[in-house]
Amino acid sequence: MEEKIKLSPESFEALPKAAELDNEKIAAPSLTFVQDAWRRLKMNKGALISLFVIILMMVVAFGSTPFINHDSLVKSAPQYANLPAKIPGVPINGLNGKLKVSGEWVDEYKQNNVPNNKYFVLGTDYLGHSLAQRIIYGTKISLIVALVATFFDLTLGVAYGIISGWRGGRVDNVMQRIIEVISSVPSLVIVVLMLIVLKPGMTSIIAAIAISSWTTMARMIRAETLQLKSQEYVLAARTLGESPWKIAWKHLVPNLSSIIIIQTMYTIPTAIFFEAFLSFIGIGISAPQTSLGVLLNDGQKNFQFLPYQMWYPAIVLCVLMIAFNLLGDGLRDAFDPKTRR
Amino acid sequence: MRKYLLKRVFYMILTLFLVATITFFLMKLMPGTPYSNQQKMTAQQIQIMNEQYGLNKPMWMQYLIYLGGMLHGDLGVSFQFSNQPVSYLIASRIGASAQLGIQAMIFGVVLGIIIGSIAAVHRNTWIDTLCTVLSIIGKSVPNFVLAVLLQFYIALKLGWFPIADWGNFSYTVLPTIALGVGPLAETARFIRTGMVDVLNSDYIELAKAKGLSRYGIVYHHALRNSLIPLVTLIGPYTVALMTGSMVIENIFSIPGIGEQFVKSILTNDYPTIMGVTMLFSAGLVAIILITDIIYGMIDPRIRLSGSGD
Amino acid sequence: MKLNKFAKLGAVAVLSAVFLAACGSKSTSSSTKQVLNWDENAELPTIDLSKATDRVSFDTLNNTNEGLYRLGKDSKIEPGIATKTTVSSDGLKYTFTLRKNAKWSNGDKVTAKDFVYSWQRTVKPSTGSQYAYLFSGIQNADDIMDGKKSPSTLGIKAEGNYKLVVTLDKKLPYFKLLMGFPSFYPQSQKAVEKYGSKYGTASKYMVYNGPYELTKWTGTNLSWTLKKNNDYWDKKNVKLSAINYKVNKSNTTAYNLYQSGKLDMTYLNAEQAKQMSNSKELVTRRGASTFYLEYNQTKKEFQNKKIRQAISLVIDRKQYVNKVLGDGSTVAKGLVASGLSKHNGKDFADEAVVKDATATDTAKAKKLWNEGLKELGVKELSFSILSDDTDSGNKTTPFLQSQIEESLPGAKVSVTNVPFKTRLDRSEKGNFDVVVSAWGADFADPISFLDLFTSDNSYNNGNWKNTEYDKLIEASKTTDSGNTTKRWNDLVQAEKILMQDQGISPIYQQAQATLVKSKVKGVIYNSSGANYNFKDAYIK
Repeated sequence: MEEKIKLSPESFEALPKAAELDNEKIAAPSLTFVQDAWRRLKMNKGALISLFVIILMMVVAFGSTPFINHDSLVKSAPQYANLPAKIPGVPINGLNGKLKVSGEWVDEYKQNNVPNNKYFVLGTDYLGHSLAQRIIYGTKISLIVALVATFFDLTLGVAYGIISGWRGGRVDNVMQRIIEVISSVPSLVIVVLMLIVLKPGMTSIIAAIAISSWTTMARMIRAETLQLKSQEYVLAARTLGESPWKIAWKHLVPNLSSIIIIQTMYTIPTAIFFEAFLSFIGIGISAPQTSLGVLLNDGQKNFQFLPYQMWYPAIVLCVLMIAFNLLGDGLRDAFDPKTRR
Repeated sequence: MRKYLLKRVFYMILTLFLVATITFFLMKLMPGTPYSNQQKMTAQQIQIMNEQYGLNKPMWMQYLIYLGGMLHGDLGVSFQFSNQPVSYLIASRIGASAQLGIQAMIFGVVLGIIIGSIAAVHRNTWIDTLCTVLSIIGKSVPNFVLAVLLQFYIALKLGWFPIADWGNFSYTVLPTIALGVGPLAETARFIRTGMVDVLNSDYIELAKAKGLSRYGIVYHHALRNSLIPLVTLIGPYTVALMTGSMVIENIFSIPGIGEQFVKSILTNDYPTIMGVTMLFSAGLVAIILITDIIYGMIDPRIRLSGSGD
Repeated sequence: MKLNKFAKLGAVAVLSAVFLAACGSKSTSSSTKQVLNWDENAELPTIDLSKATDRVSFDTLNNTNEGLYRLGKDSKIEPGIATKTTVSSDGLKYTFTLRKNAKWSNGDKVTAKDFVYSWQRTVKPSTGSQYAYLFSGIQNADDIMDGKKSPSTLGIKAEGNYKLVVTLDKKLPYFKLLMGFPSFYPQSQKAVEKYGSKYGTASKYMVYNGPYELTKWTGTNLSWTLKKNNDYWDKKNVKLSAINYKVNKSNTTAYNLYQSGKLDMTYLNAEQAKQMSNSKELVTRRGASTFYLEYNQTKKEFQNKKIRQAISLVIDRKQYVNKVLGDGSTVAKGLVASGLSKHNGKDFADEAVVKDATATDTAKAKKLWNEGLKELGVKELSFSILSDDTDSGNKTTPFLQSQIEESLPGAKVSVTNVPFKTRLDRSEKGNFDVVVSAWGADFADPISFLDLFTSDNSYNNGNWKNTEYDKLIEASKTTDSGNTTKRWNDLVQAEKILMQDQGISPIYQQAQATLVKSKVKGVIYNSSGANYNFKDAYIK
């Protein structure tokens, strides 16, 4: 109070023109939303490895199409039925053609008079099909089922949820009742009906998934949208006269991304398991095609004696799921504006 | 609020009516007859039996009769179990399924919340990764595989629990775990995600600044807010679990409704299919209404629509 | 740190639950005193014998109730309620004298009237019995089923309380065997009327006159108990005090229960049977059911005999039963199951065997196939094989598909596995190309099989027609029905015609592999009719 600092115009000095402008400049390069997301995804090692694993599996599964087709799947060799894995040059019990039969390791290849140069890397199933071949094909089918379900989730489910939550009132009411009705009709009834209209197999399964898989996503999205609707930035956008479509795309979807991604990560196993469930009750995919669900179900029946028939497909499924989930986590962190720090 | 409730109950009835109608007509499209030995029956016998089951009447009449019966709790007579009323069949089978479903849900949600919270608090550490991987594995293994493994290793090899059958609490442990791992994994992941979001928000910073302990913050602020997306999920999930899991009931030889339902679909037991579907649907719409109400309670930001317009 | 408190709490809760539960499980252990713990793989739908249609119901009725005869080992006729039987010289009239010491579990005596009432009830169309067709041949039965005559005209009369007279329209050589089948057992009118619509829907809504009484069956549950019936006339020869049934739909579960001693018998699936093939406890129950291919002969391609023969010749049945099924099923010799029926010491299936009917000869098959295609004027043939979604059905179709596609050039096979009821519906409507069907004999006579393929039989889904076959079957029922040898030869001849023409292609005769604890003795299993008879069973 006592001492007043005396400021005179001389105390101030004008900056050179260039520096003045520079000060306002953003140091980091300007990135689009996607570029930024990709940059952050790259920093997440787990997600990157998962991405790699998924791409690899897809390449193997879909790339196998010219080699593993109807003709090769249909060939059976019952004389080689139920052989355990035998990999050349691997002397580990369980991978050298030996199987534990009532506590002792028995060379099944010798017992069944299989020629010495015959190797099944992951063993064979009850018709003597190579299990490795079946798993690759099964992965492909399961991936297709998963992708179809994801597609309906991301399009129908998300759009439905946003519209329902955003519009509210009567529209919301009607849309929610429709969801209730759809999720009340058991999907098994739908599948059985598909069997008369279509043949058992992929088409029926996909149709059933298309009808019922997206409802959970729609409900989750609606719930979140209801919440986001009253957030300040949405209100601001509304006040500024932004069109609903733009608000949905620019504000809602990015903020919903964590829910969307997590829910998708659950849709994928749910779809794969639905297909597996159908094979559990015997009306899944039809021979000679197969899926991871069919293989798991076959393996589950003989688990006490031929554990490898369950373990191998289970391991593949688990790896696939873990990869999908870690990637999902990474994507979520990358896309969600809230985690951008 | 009362007006809102009345309105919702009206919608509930409307939904149930729609489900009944759709299922009824879908059922009529299903191939085959309920008789397992039709080819050995005379035309006269088939005609008389159709009359007894009311299958000879025009479809609209069958539909009206069915709706009428349903109004006073008569769901018809099962085809598969000769002369057995469907309501009795459902009543005698639903108990085991419901108990199992609720136990599995409690097991899954409670453990899931704990694991999810721990993961969120320790996010981006090895604890987080461990929790994530565990919950992913839980969700990635189909429950019939898990059930077979539990039965073989825990029940047969270790002898800790009964292998199968239905009786006292010990019989329910393995099926509960097999059934509860799904909700557990899902809950854990949702809680973790929700909580990470919440923990980053400003009011948590404030709470931290006020000197609240880490778990105090989690308990008082973060948990409540991250429960919201979970509520949407848990409701329908519980109904689905309570109305039976065919797979688990099959593997553990449990006299539940899920297994019976699949069987009735495969044997064209129309009245049973309808009965179970209606039960499921009633449970579902009721739980959706309840979640919507709970919503309003735990998140004051959500206005119950309907009271407004 | 707060985390520990949190974690500890959770851990304690989980552990204590586990511990408590573990303690609880020890208290239940099965006692071994003349109590049998039996596996079952389907639920019990009814014990109303007029309405029973399935194996479990018939098995249960066979042990809780009793008819004029009991079927012993190898379907041998043993005394039941009847003590004496006289047959008229033309074979159309049976007079049974009933024992006076047979009682219902409510204390009433079992009388001839109970038989009359029961039979009339089953045949009456309004009862809706799906097994009433077995009564065909008994006087007026067909007309009653068609609603043309009243049930009281049925050829069964009670003369007093202990004499029963049955009149037939035509001679039924297997009539006595039928009397051992539950559909022909007596029913107490008092009980049927007392329980009304609840009759037979739970163990308490039924009366019993057999070696055991059914208890603990609520009508929908998955376990029940057969308790020794102390009112049974021959109770001194019934040694078991109880048989506990438990339904396990999963073979894996049943096997685990068996391993831990909770079950004395378990059904095995194919894979389990293969693995247990050296076990001393393995008991293979050969059933009188044959699985066969039916060709839809309303379609041009399957009217061609060479095509049918080629398909049949290409199937390596031996490999199929041994390597793929492996449950003890055997290669079918023909339509009629082996071991079903004997005449002069010779098995019907051996007598009627036709060379190549179920053999494998790929070279010959290819030749016939190419000739067949040429006759049809086509280069390739695609068709679909229909089957149901059972474990064996799911194994059969892929196998057939691979066998046919690999060996027959130009064959394109798709497979369709649908639920059992849907399969029946499609078969009946002729909505198939080739279907895997199965038939199990209701009684131990070849006619039970051969009747299926007469031109107008509703089970002849493929519409195979052969006038000579029809004539032979008709002759066996009419002109030759009195002469055992002639009738036998007619039937042998008929089967040979069917096989030579490959009207159907038999694949395998089903067997059910089971494990039975070696302490279990005296269980009788018959391949046709009701399977299990526990009257003489005991535990050593």
